[in-house]
Amino acid sequence: MIDFYHVTKRFDRYSVALQDVSLHADKGEFVFLTGPSGAGKSTILKLILRQLLPTEGQIVVNGRNLATLKRSQLPMFRREIGMVFQDFKLIERMTVFENLSFVMTVLGVPPRDHKKKAYAVLRAVNLHHRLNAYPPQLSGGEQQRVAIARALINDPFLIIADEPTGNLDPDLSADVMQIFIEANLRGSTVLLATHDRELIRRTGRRVIYLEKGRLGEERAQQPAELPETPSTFMQWGSL
Amino acid sequence: MTADSGERPLGVFGYFVHEAVRRLWVYKRTSMVAIGMIAIALMTLGSFLLISENLNRAVDRWQGQSQITVFLTRDATPAQIDAARSFLTREPELSKFTFVSREAAYAKFRKHFTQLAPVLDDLDQNPFPPSFEVQLDEVKVNDPPFAKLVAGLRRVDGVDDVQLDWQWVSRLRRIASVLSLVGLIAGGVLAVAAAFTIANVIRLTMFLYREEIDIMRLVGATEATIRGPFLLEGIFQGMCGGVLAVALLYGLFRGVHALATGPASALLWEFLFSEFIPWPTALALIGGGVAAGFFGSWISVREAREEKAG
Repeated sequence: MIDFYHVTKRFDRYSVALQDVSLHADKGEFVFLTGPSGAGKSTILKLILRQLLPTEGQIVVNGRNLATLKRSQLPMFRREIGMVFQDFKLIERMTVFENLSFVMTVLGVPPRDHKKKAYAVLRAVNLHHRLNAYPPQLSGGEQQRVAIARALINDPFLIIADEPTGNLDPDLSADVMQIFIEANLRGSTVLLATHDRELIRRTGRRVIYLEKGRLGEERAQQPAELPETPSTFMQWGSL
Repeated sequence: MTADSGERPLGVFGYFVHEAVRRLWVYKRTSMVAIGMIAIALMTLGSFLLISENLNRAVDRWQGQSQITVFLTRDATPAQIDAARSFLTREPELSKFTFVSREAAYAKFRKHFTQLAPVLDDLDQNPFPPSFEVQLDEVKVNDPPFAKLVAGLRRVDGVDDVQLDWQWVSRLRRIASVLSLVGLIAGGVLAVAAAFTIANVIRLTMFLYREEIDIMRLVGATEATIRGPFLLEGIFQGMCGGVLAVALLYGLFRGVHALATGPASALLWEFLFSEFIPWPTALALIGGGVAAGFFGSWISVREAREEKAG
């Protein structure tokens, strides 16, 4: 699913973001990417999205070598990936529904399907009652759930999240993590960058540790606190 | 199960149009600057075209490229008229002629210069002399034997003047061409300036929307989808500028028409403002605005490619 082969990323002679990193994530896996600030977590995510190209090494995502991906192929490639940011990146002048509809429009989803899909995905993150609210009217946790709903709207095979709980308190973080876990149970591979050790401990998934651009020790955590009952998210898949 | 959202979702083209119109409205002040620039450029061009087209039309109406007019004295006797007719008949090059009596000249003037008809009503008598309109096979103004012939015609008893009509016709045509050229150059320069104004407005809009553009790229929007609304915004600005220019030009045309009440103004009206520019020219002006808008916005959006993955 995701393979890094001896990837090095230098921005200039003195600024090395990643140094000889090789990593692998299987299809359907949930992987944490952690390490201190400046360790190279965001660089890895940007490389996967092909916002950056490696200075050395090869990256293969879902069977595609990103070095050979043409500029014209990038949109189709990115449509298969759901991206979640620490600062949500919602469009504040648009309602929750419009934020989702906007993405569906640019993805070419027929307009007649927008409402149905938006409602379904918002119900999955338990925000279907806030369809017409504007982002500033929502709490941080709600905004992040909308952002996740937006990432999920196109049934991505891969979800990558950059510090998605960075602006949230522990309770809201748990809610958000629950949504990622459920998406993972539905089959999406999840790669989540965070430096929240408590979150990693509570979630209990494989961890890739980065420090100063180099790969540290990988630790497999025990799965913990998986959902015990099928949630609304599971029901969404049947729509 | 239906979602109760306020607005109807849009397809890609609907999204382009909706966004372009919305941004025109949200940034109406900057948009108005761009639209105003386009309107000024096209109105300048349109004004020159209006005048030159009317000039050409007037010249066409008095078509005399191969004609001379032999004016007799107002009190020419039938014998003098016959003498002039005999001279013309004798010369094969001048033998195609028409006699225009004083009454016919009066009627012709009233027909062609309707605005000046009241002036004629104020006169006690018919001011027009009788004349011969001579059609020539070709223009021979620089031909010495022909000049000699004209000089002989001038010496015929009762002939007051011989006007070589094609001289002023060609001068008027030259003026019309120069006016068109000046209009094209001035309008073209202003249109390029207007296009760059639109480019800057679009650049500013793209800067304000950079976060949305980033989001669109990350969710997999194609460059065409990202750039479409901005291109359309420029096209709309150009089109609005073009429509405004034609509307203002028409207002100017009607204004001149309303002001042209005195005889002196009427003559100016007759020459320069007899008819509004034909609709294909008006459409071409609007099309010019659209082209300038497209060019301006295209300059900006082509700069806004996603930075090459470094």
